[in-house]
Amino acid sequence: MTRLSFITSVCLIGLLTSEATRAADLTVGANIGNVPWEFQDENGDYVGFEIDLVNQIGDRLGMNVEIINIPFSGLFSAVQSGRIDIALSSITVTERRLESVAFVQPYYDSAQSLTVDSDSNISSLADLQGRVVAVDTGSTGDMWITENNARYGIGEIRRFEGLVPAMLDVQSGRVDGYISDIPGLEYFIRDKPYFKVVQRIETGERYSMVLAEGNPLADQVNDVLTELKRSGFVAELHRSWFGSEPLASSSTVSVVDRPRSTSVGGRDAGFAQTFLNWGVLLNSMPLLLAGLRVTLLLGATSIACGLALGLFLAMVRLYGVRPAGVASKMYIDIFRSIPILVLLIVVYYAPPFAGIQLSAFAAAAVALTLVSGAYTAEIFRAGIEAIPSGQFEASHALGLNYRHTMLDVILPQAIRVVIPPLTNNCINVIKDTALASVVAMPDLLKQANQAQALEANPTPLIVAALIYLALLWPLVILVGRLEKRFRQEYSQ
Amino acid sequence: MSAIVSIKNLRKQFGSFDALAGVNLQINEGEVVCIVGPSGSGKSTLIRCINQLEDFDDSSEVKIAGIDITQDETARADVGMVFQSFNLFPHMTIRENITLAPLRVKQMSEQQANAIADDLMQKVGIEAQAEKYPSQLSGGQQQRVAIARALAMRPRVMLFDEPTSALDPEMVGEVLDVMRDLARSGVTMLVVTHEMGFARQVADRVIFMDEGKIVEAGKPAQIFDGPAHQRTRDFVNAVLQH
Repeated sequence: MTRLSFITSVCLIGLLTSEATRAADLTVGANIGNVPWEFQDENGDYVGFEIDLVNQIGDRLGMNVEIINIPFSGLFSAVQSGRIDIALSSITVTERRLESVAFVQPYYDSAQSLTVDSDSNISSLADLQGRVVAVDTGSTGDMWITENNARYGIGEIRRFEGLVPAMLDVQSGRVDGYISDIPGLEYFIRDKPYFKVVQRIETGERYSMVLAEGNPLADQVNDVLTELKRSGFVAELHRSWFGSEPLASSSTVSVVDRPRSTSVGGRDAGFAQTFLNWGVLLNSMPLLLAGLRVTLLLGATSIACGLALGLFLAMVRLYGVRPAGVASKMYIDIFRSIPILVLLIVVYYAPPFAGIQLSAFAAAAVALTLVSGAYTAEIFRAGIEAIPSGQFEASHALGLNYRHTMLDVILPQAIRVVIPPLTNNCINVIKDTALASVVAMPDLLKQANQAQALEANPTPLIVAALIYLALLWPLVILVGRLEKRFRQEYSQ
Repeated sequence: MSAIVSIKNLRKQFGSFDALAGVNLQINEGEVVCIVGPSGSGKSTLIRCINQLEDFDDSSEVKIAGIDITQDETARADVGMVFQSFNLFPHMTIRENITLAPLRVKQMSEQQANAIADDLMQKVGIEAQAEKYPSQLSGGQQQRVAIARALAMRPRVMLFDEPTSALDPEMVGEVLDVMRDLARSGVTMLVVTHEMGFARQVADRVIFMDEGKIVEAGKPAQIFDGPAHQRTRDFVNAVLQH
């Protein structure tokens, strides 16, 4: 066998095996962790009401079901881009979502709920005036309270990616209450007496599965659902997961029509209409601009504090007494090794247990500063070390003291060396601000996620990407120009 | 005559190597002293110690105008230094290079510092380059700026560490001319050099160093024409036969 044909065979085998593992012909996306609809049991297997339901549907259609874990706000784009066939996650049927995606007939009648800490004196929505309330990004709870907030005067609506992080913040007291789907909440707190559901909020919402608009599979799935309701399978799921009998009038028991958009024709599912939809763009622009403001503020704060910290660390490392120098080096090495996302979560969730409350902004700024400081310190150190020792000697010989040597001679030269890498670091910090969305910071990415879940359309994400690009591309070009200019200056 | 520089038993080790093995030297006001010798003989280390660019043995003593330099940092301000590699500040104009220390160390007004700079730039012949940056000047011009920069602090003694060694041959003359003028005007100078012609012509005293010690010192004619020691003779013969 020649080498080439061997390689070809290996590639072919690889293709064939990957084809075999892709036998799943029904790819389902679900926000795993959404109890009791889809979550992991002790063995790590995906279980839940909707998991059982979709597996049964797959069986009836003779299709293999593969479930992949996708955050709630990413489910709609996943359906629209064809990465998944069906999205599940106790998704409420709404008119706005119907304009972009297709639903099959609903199978659960739900409501929202307000959950608080057991020790809290909040007993209803009316007590939330001026308080902070948590919701899931782009969920019906988010939509409902945003629309009805004029009535309740809530101080701040903070958006989370799922139930667990939101409940952690209810527990730590960072938020006063959590508005979310009632079945999930009741299931989650059944063994947690330190939480209580204090109000059921009737929204008339119904859960269903989402498919791409125009996907012929939707009718087949709908028909299977009809059968499953008639045979009592769905009602049985209700009994096994909630331990109660569903109401005969509910969509869990009775067959209902597939929901359709009431607007004429709905949205065209064409590529441009899906990924760059002007209506969606206009609707989501206020959200995106508010997010941009937060991103810029967080970026600027972290960059400025990181510069100061980095300069200090570099000075200590280069000129401090030995133990301080070693400590500085350790700091720099440690914070360059920690994934910023991990640090962000630690800084956000750990201090409350020590009685320190950091706002999401403060936590994000601290985490970004800690890491940016470490990188900046290395940049400054390299910059200062790039200055020939003769510059220090000439300064000493002229009688300049340490402060003037640094301020007048060394730093102005070091800054030329460090400006390009510092600008690169600024670009990285601004990009890293997007990670702050995990601690419910309403930054650009978070707002785009919220907007795309509200609209069930990925346009806001595309626009957010364009905004990041417009922000950072000029900086990238600037770095290139500066590097070229300084290279020329030194080669003179 | 009073001693501006007084060195007693100057010793310095680099590891186990004796860079300076007990040097004694007095330099009087207005005197021009040239130090010659093979490389590694301790010439540069000697003048770097005078400016505290190197530390040295505790038993040694270096005094500038009667002040022990290890006791009083300000003694350094009385010593000007010119380096082999110029060490100008590349981000400052020629004028700024010269006025920086007078402004920052002597707290002079801009006007005073500029007046001194103008005077010195004229003296070393670089007045036309005042607003240029070091990288725009030739090596000879840069070294003349370095001399003016050191002189701006009005030092009691000027140290030169092989000031022409890094220069292209055609630029050596212009720097030596400036140094010759300085010597004539009465500036106290200690010069480490390989320019034997300059040493013979300008020095009041020539010192021959080898292996971290002063082997022989005397008038230029004595060192170059009738050295007392064999090592001095070998060195002078080797250098002058070029």
